[in-house]
Amino acid sequence: MRELVRSNPSIPWFLGILAAFCLGVTFLAEATGTGALSTSFVKTLGRTLCLCLVAIAMDVVWGYCGILSLGHMAFFGLGGYAIGMWLMYARTELIVAESLANAPIPPTPQEVEDAIASQIFGVVGASDFPAIWAFADSFVLQMAMVVLVPGLLALVFGWLAFRSRVTGVYLSILTQAMTLALSLYLFQNDSGLRGNNGLSGLQNLPGLGAVPQSVVSIAFFWASALALAAGYLAFAWAVSGKMGSVVRGIRDNEARVRFLGYHVESFKLFVFTLTAIVSGLAGALYYPQAGIINPAEIAPIASIYLAVWVAIGGRGRLYGAAIGAALVSLLSSWFTGGGAPDIDLGFYEIQWTDWWLVLLGVSFVAVTLYAPKGIGGLVDLIAERRRPARTGDLGPDTSALRKTEAAE
Amino acid sequence: MTDVVLAPEAPASTRKSTLLELSGVSVSFDGFRAINNLSFQIGEPELRAVIGPNGAGKTTFMDIVTGKTRPDEGHVLWGEKSVNLLKLSESRIAREGIGRKFQKPTVFEAQSVRENLAMALKNPRGPFDVLLYRKTEDGARRIEEIAREIGLADHLPRTAGELSHGQKQWLEIGMLLAQAPRLLLVDEPAAGMTPAEREHTTDLLKRLARRHAVVVVEHDMEFVRRLDCKVTVLHEGSVLAEGSLDHVTSNQQVIDVYLGR
Amino acid sequence: MLPKLRALILAASALLLCLAPAAHAQDSALQDLLQTHAEEVADPGRRSVGALMDDLAASDLPGVARFLERWADKKVYLNKEDGRFYYGETEDGSFALRDIASDEPVGTAPAAAMEEIRPNGGVRRVISGALVEFQLSDPDRAARVDALDSISRRPTADQLGPLRESIEGEPDPALKARKERLANLMTARFGADTETRVAAIERLSGAVDLETRAGLSRILSAESGVAPDLPADANIARELEVGDDLTEADAYARLVGADLAAPLVTNADIRDALAANIEDGAVGGVPVAELSDPEARTRAYAALAEAGTVPPLVTPEEQAQAARAHVFYEVYDEPNPAVTDAASAALSEVEARVARHQVLDLGLDAVSLASIYFLAAIGLAITFGVMGVINMAHGEFIMMGAYTGYVVQQVIPNYTASLIVALPLAFLVAFAAGVALERLVIRHLYHRPLETLLATFGISIALQQLAKNIFGTQARPLTAPSWLDGAWVMNDVVGIANIRIAIFVLALIFLALLLFILKRTRLGLEVRAVTQNPGMAGSMGIDPGRINMMTFGLGSGIAGVAGVAIGLYAQVTSEMGSAYIVQSFMTVVVGGVGNVWGTLAGATLIGGLQKGIEWFNPSNTLAAQTYMILFIILFIQVRPKGIVALKGRAAGD
Repeated sequence: MRELVRSNPSIPWFLGILAAFCLGVTFLAEATGTGALSTSFVKTLGRTLCLCLVAIAMDVVWGYCGILSLGHMAFFGLGGYAIGMWLMYARTELIVAESLANAPIPPTPQEVEDAIASQIFGVVGASDFPAIWAFADSFVLQMAMVVLVPGLLALVFGWLAFRSRVTGVYLSILTQAMTLALSLYLFQNDSGLRGNNGLSGLQNLPGLGAVPQSVVSIAFFWASALALAAGYLAFAWAVSGKMGSVVRGIRDNEARVRFLGYHVESFKLFVFTLTAIVSGLAGALYYPQAGIINPAEIAPIASIYLAVWVAIGGRGRLYGAAIGAALVSLLSSWFTGGGAPDIDLGFYEIQWTDWWLVLLGVSFVAVTLYAPKGIGGLVDLIAERRRPARTGDLGPDTSALRKTEAAE
Repeated sequence: MTDVVLAPEAPASTRKSTLLELSGVSVSFDGFRAINNLSFQIGEPELRAVIGPNGAGKTTFMDIVTGKTRPDEGHVLWGEKSVNLLKLSESRIAREGIGRKFQKPTVFEAQSVRENLAMALKNPRGPFDVLLYRKTEDGARRIEEIAREIGLADHLPRTAGELSHGQKQWLEIGMLLAQAPRLLLVDEPAAGMTPAEREHTTDLLKRLARRHAVVVVEHDMEFVRRLDCKVTVLHEGSVLAEGSLDHVTSNQQVIDVYLGR
Repeated sequence: MLPKLRALILAASALLLCLAPAAHAQDSALQDLLQTHAEEVADPGRRSVGALMDDLAASDLPGVARFLERWADKKVYLNKEDGRFYYGETEDGSFALRDIASDEPVGTAPAAAMEEIRPNGGVRRVISGALVEFQLSDPDRAARVDALDSISRRPTADQLGPLRESIEGEPDPALKARKERLANLMTARFGADTETRVAAIERLSGAVDLETRAGLSRILSAESGVAPDLPADANIARELEVGDDLTEADAYARLVGADLAAPLVTNADIRDALAANIEDGAVGGVPVAELSDPEARTRAYAALAEAGTVPPLVTPEEQAQAARAHVFYEVYDEPNPAVTDAASAALSEVEARVARHQVLDLGLDAVSLASIYFLAAIGLAITFGVMGVINMAHGEFIMMGAYTGYVVQQVIPNYTASLIVALPLAFLVAFAAGVALERLVIRHLYHRPLETLLATFGISIALQQLAKNIFGTQARPLTAPSWLDGAWVMNDVVGIANIRIAIFVLALIFLALLLFILKRTRLGLEVRAVTQNPGMAGSMGIDPGRINMMTFGLGSGIAGVAGVAIGLYAQVTSEMGSAYIVQSFMTVVVGGVGNVWGTLAGATLIGGLQKGIEWFNPSNTLAAQTYMILFIILFIQVRPKGIVALKGRAAGD
């Protein structure tokens, strides 16, 4: 542990700031403190922590392993769908049981299931459970799906892609295609997941109807924070040792690692699948706080935004990804939610709901051009002032520049 | 010292047996025959220099042995059990015991010298082995030894990208040593080195060749002469001549090829 | 009457008609003709009208068809005062009269003066036969088409004769063919004997049109039936096997429908029956609380059935037994088996031909889709090939081109002129935008392809939002000139819209243009040099920066042109670019990088594939796209470098 901290000085900082933030939110929340923060804002913060977690996963796969995956938000969404299926099933089951309780004849299990099915699938004109809902009645099995579905998809897709040595922008495009295919599939009404209606009412936890949302929100906030802390520690541990060395080697010169005797494809597959699973878990925490999930959440654009967060925050450093995700997603909701004051230029009034995306796009280009280290680069500036001649990872920007013979 | 650095691999009983054998290997790129019916053998231990003009197929030859390029026809057999290398992946070939040093030094510039060497160190290479790998006394000692051998003992914590060109060459040789291969493919090891460093390199290669099979590709005749070993001359993708340096340099064909007709 | 004389009279009366003032318009040729047969018109008999009909048919006068129609409908009146014929309608005891030839109002007459003419049934049949004949040989093509349509909708046996007779004189080849087909179809249905009918059906087997297919299926219309034994005298289409052709449940439902078995008691029936028979908290001796168990329900219901309160359950064994005891079959409405056999043979031949034509049509669709993908992707392929740069804003250049077309159309109202202006202007606008993007952003990011991808994505979202701010979120129309509106139609199956042909031509032009630029010009030589070895090209005096700029501009400019082309048949929105970007990437990846032919092959494959999948599953384009992407992922397994791959050292790894 001490060694881990020594190789990753950011761990105590990150965990400390996260803990302080959690305590602060707890003291200001409605259920546990003064109530200065509304329940919906606590939910926004909790969701942001989940986004930080998926951003860290993205950083590992992109910043460390060099795979610009445009599919991790799809894994995130799949995790959300998996948990959403249980939430929706269990809650509808309660509602159905209540409404059937007054029937003259007690319902058979089949009747209960039919009633749940027609309740859930009425919007897409179906009344039978598709096969993929087979485990929806069991929380444990559906939690297993949260891990298994993104994990298996990443495993199969990654195996196919890495095996055929697809790299670089090709791989990015291929992951984007996978994401697009998945979202298009889910948009269909007969996909078994309610088409573009998606799954809704996820904020209502089955059996906890009496618990106010303010309490639920703070509980989810803490769960998200714990998941983020655990994810940060796990990834920091994974990338600090020899694994990190090999993975960064793959990023900088894949062929050279191969000639050292490492089976590069297995490592990529390992990182891709592991991060996909973490993304799925993050999604499973996110969507109960969002309340609704639909296929638009899985569209390629979401995964591209994820890459944007990580790039703005700074690649190749886990805290950078978390900072980027938190900052950009919160700013985004501030600007688009009408929180930012409009600017009157006299001849034209800049309304941020219209211009935020333009600002984001341009500033993203600026970051890529002039600050490739992102916000995390600021930390380096401070650290360098305190400790000159520090050695460490040059980051992907510098080392990716080297043209090497083995890569030819 | 090298004896410590290089774990003894080949038992004495198998000495001089054929380690690598290429027969009838051909490969062409878009109609251009880079390798044409090439046959080549090397035993263990042995030191061999491969020379030839540009485009003779030296690099392609190495690419075929290390699995980077798949030949159109021919056989590449390895070791006592005559394993067919053509069926193995690059990483598997490396794990079989074939190490390669590239012409341009290719080290992981973003990582420290120690990390570079640690990555090359002979250890289980699976993802889970690597994930759960913990530093050992033994490993640390071997890294120290190799670093001393390549003259980078004081530079272990430095980032490899900060090293000079010659130091990178040395680091790459060190990585080759750390892999503890049975066959070393060394592409122009002396490029960009000072005369003293060249001498050191020659010594090192000769010492290595006492226990291992070493193939050196080199342009510099002086360097080849110092290696004092059997020489194979490649020309247009096949072997033009083989034997001692004096023998091949007196060969009229070789003179024609090198000086032009 | 001698034909010559009649012609003379007609010519004279036509002259009169022209010269006479409006008041005398009633002195028309038709009236004259009717007057010569006044007796037969006023009191028609089936035998006596023959001569009149012949004269009418031979007269070629314009109002004859209308006259025949109204004659049969009893709307022709004889004015006993002037002895002339009029069309009439009662109006408060008097008659509003209309001229027999021109159908113009010519005043009123007292009811007493008018005599209604009532042709009997036999005459009316003769009239309607003649009427069909008249309509079928009407000089107005539209009228003939109307007549054919109405016959095709509701064919009757007596139309067959006039139809046959009209074939000879039909000037329009398409209509003539249609008349022949229709005649054959009607012969097949109403022909006198089996041989004629079968012969007619056989003549139909060469067609592909909808009418023939519908007609043949009508002959083959069948009803499903069920009986203990197969009826001996019926023309059985086929026997249905329970289990293979229809499920046991369906079979039983048919038995119930034919009153051959007792209706099933569904679970809902059981529940309702139980609910209706609760006595003291129990049903049939089973406590209500236990009834959540399906078995308990069955027991309770069985008890109720025992008591005779409810109909007994039909067990699955009973269902199966009932189904076994009966035969299920389909029986043709047409009793003649020779005819149905011939028809089904002809239909299957027609359907096979239709399938072949559908493949052809699908091929045309695929080619047109491929042209669009080619136009959308070729710019991307060039920039990717030459510079190794993926331009995520490529789709937005397509959008820019489309909006340029829209703006031009606002300024120049003539659609043809605006299109001619818009195409080069869209190229220039996108070219300029591409050059600006290359100079400002991409130039600084060479050798960092992933970052280029992201930076251009930033540009893409900014441009999209900008377009939204300027043009609004609603779709803007880009109207095609009218000469692009129609379609080239080969038959009922094969056809393609003109606009798609135009896009195909545009794609061909750009293919030729690009090949010319790359193979025959100095710029192309330099581009190829930079593609293969930028360092060497640079040292030979080629400025790679300039080449990159030109290439990027060229690729972007083509995207602009593609935008106009796409905008002409789809709508112009700020998001139209993102709809094409993934397909364009797929095209480049599948085709192989840096090669015009590769892009062409990729576009063809993707276009063909998408249409092919849509053909298998036409209702679902979403699924088609999903499967196509899956295919591409698998395709990459087989050919990681695309269809047209560079090999050897130049390709790199």
